Amino acid sequence: MSVPANVRRWLKLILPLLLLLALLFLPKTDPGDNVIRMLFLTAVWTTTSLAWNLLGGMAGQVSFGFAVFFGLGAYTTALLMHAGHSPYFGFIGGAAIAALASFLIGLPTFRLRGPYFVIATIGVTEAVRVIMNNLDITGGSSGYRIQEDGPFRPLEHYYTAIAAVTLAVIVSTVIASSKFGLALRAIKQDEDAAAAVGVNPYVSKLWVHAIAAALTGLAGGIYARRAAFFYPGDVFAFQTGILILLMPVIGGIGTVWGPVLGGLVFGMVEEQISVKFPNLHLMIYGSLLILIILLEPDGLLGLLRRLFRRRTRENPGSTDADKVLWGRSSA
Amino acid sequence: MTAIEYLDLLLKALLLAGVYAAMAVGMTVVYGVMKIVNLAHAGFLMLGAYFALEMFQRFHLDPIWGAILAIPAFFLFGMIVHWTLVRWLPKSDTPTLASLLLMFGFWLVLQNMGYLFWGNEDQSILTPLTLSAVHIGESISIPKVNLVVFAAAAVCMVVLQVIFNKTWFGRSMRAEIQNPYAAKIVGVDDERTSRLTFGLGTAFAGFAGALLGMLYSFSPDFGRPFLLRSFVIIVLGGLESVSGVALGAIVLAVLETFSTTIPFPWYHHGWNYYYLPPSYQPVIPFALLVVVLLLLPKGLASLFSRRWKVA
Repeated sequence: MSVPANVRRWLKLILPLLLLLALLFLPKTDPGDNVIRMLFLTAVWTTTSLAWNLLGGMAGQVSFGFAVFFGLGAYTTALLMHAGHSPYFGFIGGAAIAALASFLIGLPTFRLRGPYFVIATIGVTEAVRVIMNNLDITGGSSGYRIQEDGPFRPLEHYYTAIAAVTLAVIVSTVIASSKFGLALRAIKQDEDAAAAVGVNPYVSKLWVHAIAAALTGLAGGIYARRAAFFYPGDVFAFQTGILILLMPVIGGIGTVWGPVLGGLVFGMVEEQISVKFPNLHLMIYGSLLILIILLEPDGLLGLLRRLFRRRTRENPGSTDADKVLWGRSSA
Repeated sequence: MTAIEYLDLLLKALLLAGVYAAMAVGMTVVYGVMKIVNLAHAGFLMLGAYFALEMFQRFHLDPIWGAILAIPAFFLFGMIVHWTLVRWLPKSDTPTLASLLLMFGFWLVLQNMGYLFWGNEDQSILTPLTLSAVHIGESISIPKVNLVVFAAAAVCMVVLQVIFNKTWFGRSMRAEIQNPYAAKIVGVDDERTSRLTFGLGTAFAGFAGALLGMLYSFSPDFGRPFLLRSFVIIVLGGLESVSGVALGAIVLAVLETFSTTIPFPWYHHGWNYYYLPPSYQPVIPFALLVVVLLLLPKGLASLFSRRWKVA
């Protein structure tokens, strides 16, 4: 089954739009609160997954520290709402504060390369959590509660989450096909060579970090508004940072749709498993991570592609994951 | 603070440094020989603590014997882990993210198996040693268990130095650390050396985990704060040197112990002195990690040997 190139281009445009339309009109069919809640969470996590992928997948800078931005988004939104602002202003504020924090974190740590950067991000996220646990204005470790007047509107939450994930997909697509995206991929392949052809790796990394942080902060704010109660051991947890990293790795690093696939799988698995076996889900993700690293660095998307490629014999697959994970190019 | 109190704190810091050194040294040998940042080290530390607990509860074995028994058990375990997982990783001169994420995935598996077996409540090992103390003079008292743990850690470090310097296995490890290609040329079996090294690193992690379990209460998430401490220590020590680990352990232990007694001058209606609140103390190793990675990527020794620059 071979699809002509122009048809394929149209399919690439139309399929996401169809998916979006389906998601927008789904509530009309009255699927029940549980489905809406699950899709809401999936959309929030997929947003963070896409955001992580901008830095980790496209620029090749693996960070364990995205919980910092998620938590900052949550707390900023909550504090702004508490001060009487509209929640949407709160989301924007959360994104802005997260982006600001990304510069504070990135300015020193992007001087490090590869695994040293990774380890530094672990240090940063742990330090931030300890500080947030002790900060008085946010209630410290006992958490923060958002009070919103009026009835609980699950659909409004749902639509904001869908808007966020749509934004994340658009941002990812635009960056992936832009000159900036090309610069990021050059940095991933070889930082010194990229610098030699006129890319400033340090500055590019800072900017993509800021964009990723803003998206993660946005997701954090949206999550917080629906959750209405959260605490540092939850939004700033090391676990949160892990989950944000696991989704794109499971789905397929460096592509736009890999992280979406990872987020979808995550949302479903989380819903089914974490309720029944609270500790099993991280074990499953751990095993998945091991299997993916050893067997299929391109993730689930790579697996699908490989199954599909057997018939079409084109589309050589992405070498991105290979580069990020193994530190080699498969050419 | 009086001089006696400072002396008391200094003694406690040195005792802590002994355990820290035993904890970090396993990570150093694995990094040195294989260039793997072993995030699963945290899982091995946690398993070591539970190993001692199980030995204590089931066989009424003193935890110090539990710690000693952990060495052969974890040596085998480490070799199995290497054989099943680690050896498939590509060889590299610099640490790869594949190795990092693989070990991280394995840590997740270990940690959650811990939750499955032992639940998430805090456990501790209480022996008669835990509650008795040695008194020196009037105001210095040191729990006996800290002394025993320090002695065990020190002995183990000495044994490691002997292995490192006097045996063929130690020589091949040092050869691999210095130059893996040259080592291969002169006939070092790198597969075997890295398997044994991983076993050794795991054995030390299990041993140190058991020792830490005697000092602190633990849960399956036990290893995480110690993982980052280990990493600070080995970076301070220059990543590949066993004696550097001792130095790094002392620096970290002293900084952590004295962190709440160091005054920061602060100008607000005249000079005030601000002390770090004890609840912020856990920030020290994390902040130190970032600072050290940035300023001293080659370890403390680089302060003396060459002009330092920002990495």
